[in-house]
Amino acid sequence: MRFLTFLLSRLVTYILVIWIGVTMVFLVPRFLPSSPVEAMMAKVAAQGQYMEAAQIESLRNSLMETFGLKGSLFQQYTGFFKRVLLTGDFGPSFSAFPTPVSQLVAQALPWSLGLLLTSSVLGWLLGNAIGLFAGYRKETLASKALEFLAMLIYPIPYYIFALVLIILFTYVWQIFPFSFYIDANKPLSVGLIKDIVYNSALPALSIIAVNLGWWVISMKALSASVAEEDFVHFARLKGVSEPRIMTHYVARNALLPQITMLAIRLGTIFNGALITEILFGFPGVGTLIYSSALQADYNLMLGTISFSVIAVATATLIVDLTYPLLDPRIRYR
Amino acid sequence: MKRTMCSVLMVLLICAGIAAGGGTPVGTLPALAPSAAWAQASQGGKMTEQGTPRSETLVMDQLNGRVANARLFNPYLPGVEINNGLKPLFPPLWEMDTMKGEMFPAVAAEPLKPLNAEFTRFQIKVRPGIYWSDGVEFTVADIAFTIQMLVRTEKLPTSAYWARILKPDTRMLDKYTLEIQTVNPYPRLQQVLGTTIASNSFRVVAKHIWEKQDPTKFENYPPVTISPYVLKSNDPNGQWFLYERRPDWQRTDTAMVAGEPKPKYILYRFWGPEEKRILAAIQNDLDILMDITPESWDILRDKNKNAQAWLKDFPYAAFDDPCVRGVVLNTSKVPYDKREVRWALALATDIQGVSMATFNGMLRVSPLPIPPTTVLQKTYMFPMESWLAAFALPDGYKPFDPSYAEAMAKKLTDSGIKGVPTDRAAIRQLFGVGWWKFDTAQAAKLLQGQGFKKDARGKWQLPDGKPWTITINAPNNFEVQSMRLAFAVADSWKKFGIDVTVKQLESAPFNSAFQTGDYEADVHWPGCGVMPDVYTNMDLNWHQRLAVPNGTPAAGNNSRFKSAQVSAVLDELGKLTDKDPKVVPLTTDFFKLMVAEAAWLPMFGTSKFVPVTTHYWTGFPTAENPYEGPWWWWTGMRYYLTKFKPTGNVK
Repeated sequence: MRFLTFLLSRLVTYILVIWIGVTMVFLVPRFLPSSPVEAMMAKVAAQGQYMEAAQIESLRNSLMETFGLKGSLFQQYTGFFKRVLLTGDFGPSFSAFPTPVSQLVAQALPWSLGLLLTSSVLGWLLGNAIGLFAGYRKETLASKALEFLAMLIYPIPYYIFALVLIILFTYVWQIFPFSFYIDANKPLSVGLIKDIVYNSALPALSIIAVNLGWWVISMKALSASVAEEDFVHFARLKGVSEPRIMTHYVARNALLPQITMLAIRLGTIFNGALITEILFGFPGVGTLIYSSALQADYNLMLGTISFSVIAVATATLIVDLTYPLLDPRIRYR
Repeated sequence: MKRTMCSVLMVLLICAGIAAGGGTPVGTLPALAPSAAWAQASQGGKMTEQGTPRSETLVMDQLNGRVANARLFNPYLPGVEINNGLKPLFPPLWEMDTMKGEMFPAVAAEPLKPLNAEFTRFQIKVRPGIYWSDGVEFTVADIAFTIQMLVRTEKLPTSAYWARILKPDTRMLDKYTLEIQTVNPYPRLQQVLGTTIASNSFRVVAKHIWEKQDPTKFENYPPVTISPYVLKSNDPNGQWFLYERRPDWQRTDTAMVAGEPKPKYILYRFWGPEEKRILAAIQNDLDILMDITPESWDILRDKNKNAQAWLKDFPYAAFDDPCVRGVVLNTSKVPYDKREVRWALALATDIQGVSMATFNGMLRVSPLPIPPTTVLQKTYMFPMESWLAAFALPDGYKPFDPSYAEAMAKKLTDSGIKGVPTDRAAIRQLFGVGWWKFDTAQAAKLLQGQGFKKDARGKWQLPDGKPWTITINAPNNFEVQSMRLAFAVADSWKKFGIDVTVKQLESAPFNSAFQTGDYEADVHWPGCGVMPDVYTNMDLNWHQRLAVPNGTPAAGNNSRFKSAQVSAVLDELGKLTDKDPKVVPLTTDFFKLMVAEAAWLPMFGTSKFVPVTTHYWTGFPTAENPYEGPWWWWTGMRYYLTKFKPTGNVK
C-alpha cells in the first residue's frame, strides 16, 4: 500500500511536470518578439523573390492560414493538445513546411541518442572509475596526475576543446574523418556499422573527454570522503582486501549521488548536442532545436523541446523508482 | 589493475575508431595532402566520399547548412531550401547579366513582348529543343500549366501572390509561343518572371509530372528538371547533395546560351562552422566557399597558394553585391522624424573609422540608397558627383566629402597594406564616390537648432531634457558585415555624446522588429538592385502608401518614411518600362530627394568574400576575367560552369 502511494505520487508529479513543461514551451515562443510568418517572409526575400507590397501582404495572410496561426491563443492551445494527445502529431514544421515535425525528429533522434547516450554513459563509467581510484589512492602519484589531467580538461570550453581535437586528429594527424559522412542510403550491414563507429569516434571522444573531468573530480571527492568513514576502517581492521574495500565499500556508497547526477545529465544531453553537431557535421536534434529558435518555428520547437522535457521527467522518474533498489537505506525506510 | 583498465579503455576507444576507418595512415601532412575524409584513390586519382572522381567534381559550400527535409524539391512549398543546388535546377525564363546590369533571354528565346499599350497582355517565346531530364520536350504548355497551378491552387501559400499578378487564361500559339495576361498593368512583368537578384520566383514545373500530383503536398523527389544537371544522390539527413551532368546536356538553355558545363558532378556539402570550411579549403577539399570573414580569408590565402578571391590584391573582396548596408532609422519615431536629426547622425559618423572597424577598410561607400556596384556607380554615382558636391543643407552647409576614397587609400597604404591602387580614378572606382563629412561641429549645430542640449557630462539631451539614448538593432552572428557595422557606428555616435546600445537579435526577431517598426535604428540593407532600373526596390522601401503604424507588420517601407514628393516621383517611375529612357533621369531625381531628406543612412555596399581554390578547377570569374560576378548561389551559376576548366590534377 505504501509502495502504491509512493508510485502514484511519483506518476502524478511526472505527468504534471510534463504538462507544465510542454505548456510553457507552447506559450513562451508565442510571446517572443518574432513570428514564423515574418521569418518565412525574410527567407523568401533572401531568396531574391520579387514582390510588391500587395503581394507581400497576400503571402503573409496565406502563411498565417497555412501555419494554423489564425484563431485565439486558447484555440491554438486546445487544438495543439488534442492533436498531440490523440495522434502524437506536433504538426508541420514551419521552416521545412509541410514536413511533419515527427518526421524530422524521428530522422534526427536516433543519431543524437546513439552518440550522446553512448558517450555520456562511457564518460560516466570512465570518469567514475578514474575518480574512484584517484580518491581512494589519493596519495599516489598516479592519482595526483589523473586529478591534474581532469582539472586541466574540465574548464576548457567545449567548442575550443572539440576544435582542437578536429585540428589534431583530422588535419595534423589525419586519423578520423574531417566531416561526418555516412551513406545512409545503404542497407544495414557490418560495413555501415563500421562507418558509423568510425565517423562517430571523434565526436564521441570529445564528449567523453569533457564529461570525464567533472566525473573524475566529483567521484574523487566522494570516494575520498567515504574512504574516511568508520565502516571502511572497520572493514580494513577485519582484514578485507583493499581492492574489495574500494569496489564494494567505497564505490557502492560514493556512486549513489553520481547515479542521480547521471540521470539528470541524461535528461539534458540534447542541450549540448548543438555544438557537437555543428562542429562535427553530425546529424541530430541539436541543429533542429537551434534552427527552430532562429526561425521561430513553434511546432518544431514544441516537438524537439517536448522530447527533452519528457526525457528529463522520465529520467527523474526512473531514478526515483530505482533508488530504493540501489540504496537499501531508502528501501528500509 | 584499475589504472591499467582506465588506460586500456581510452586507448580502445580511439583504436575502435581507427580500426573502423580502415587504418588510414597517420602522419604530419602538408596542406595539399588528401584528407582522411576522402575515400581511397581509385585508378590513381582521388575520389570523393560519394564515389565520384574528385577531378570531375566541383565541390561547393552548402550555403544555409544542413537541409531539414532533404527530399523536398517542390519550389512552391515554403519550407523548401533552395541553396542546396535547387536554384540551377529551375532555370528562369530570363537571366541576369550582373556585369552589364541587363536581363537576357535564358529559357525564353527573346525578351517578354508586350502585346498592348496597357501592359496587360504579353507574349513569351521559348527556345525550341529544350527537354526535361526524363526525355519529354519542354514547351510553353509547361509554362501555362505552372501559371494555372499557381493561380488556381489556393492552398499554395504563394497562390494569392500570383493571383494578384497573373490571370490563369493563357493562349498557346504553338509549342514555343504563349500569350499570357496580367490582372493589372505590369510594365515590369519580365522582372517578376525572371531573375533580377539571385533567384527567380517563377519556376516552371513539368506539366506531365505535376498534373498528376497535389502541388501542396508533392515533394518533387527526385526532381525532373530542364537544367543540365540532375540529382544523383543525397544524404537523407541533408548534409550533402550530389548532382550529375545530364548525358543530353545539349538539350538545355545552358548549352544553347553558353555551351557545355564542364564539371561532370557538382557536390553541395555542409562542412560545419567557418573554421572547418577554411580547413577544408586549405586541403583543397572545397572548391567554392560561400561568405567568410576577411580574417578567415587572410588565413586561407596564407595557407593555400591555390586560394583565389575576386581581386588579386587588397581588398580582395567583390564589391558588386546588389545590396547596400547602413543604418535605417524609424522615421515615425521622435526624434528620427526630423530630417535635421538624421543629417546630424550622418555627420556624426566617422565613416573612415567605421570602414576600418567593420572590414578593415575593405568596403566601398555609397551616399545613395542603392548599392555602389560598378553598373550603378557608372549610371548614378559618378554622374551625380557634381550635384553631390554642390548639394547644401538649408543653412548652406555642403556636407559631401569627395575625398573619402583617397583618404582611405592613404590610410591603408600608410598602415602597410600592399596593393592599394595609386591611380585616382582606380581609387575612386574601388572605394566609391564619397560620403558625408565627419563634422561633429555641424552635427551639433543641427541638433541645437532642434532644441537638443548637452549635459554637464557632455551627453546629448532631447529637447524635452531627457537623455538621448539610441538602440541599434543588429544581427546576432549572421550577416557579419551588418553586425560589425552596428558596433562601429555605435562607437562613433558614442564619441559624439549619444548614449548608444547595440541590441543583437537572431534572424526571426531581427526581421520581425524591422517589419513591425519595433526599433529606433536598425542596421539593414533595404537598397538593392543590379539594373539601372531600381524602381521596384525603391518603391517597396520608400513609398508613403506603404507606411503603416508601428506594431503592424509592414509590407515594405519598414522605416515608415513619408514624403509626398518622393512618392510622386516613384509613381511616375512606376508607369515606365525598365528600358524607357526616362528611367535614369527620374531615378536620379528620386535620389536627390532621398539625399536631401536623409531618409536613411546608406553606408557601404556588401563586400563579398566568397573565394575559390584552383587545385582542381580554374576559370572562375575574377576581376581580371569578369565574365560575371562571383555569385555562386544565383541561378546564373549554371552558365559560369561552362567557363570552368579542369586543371588535370587528380590527387
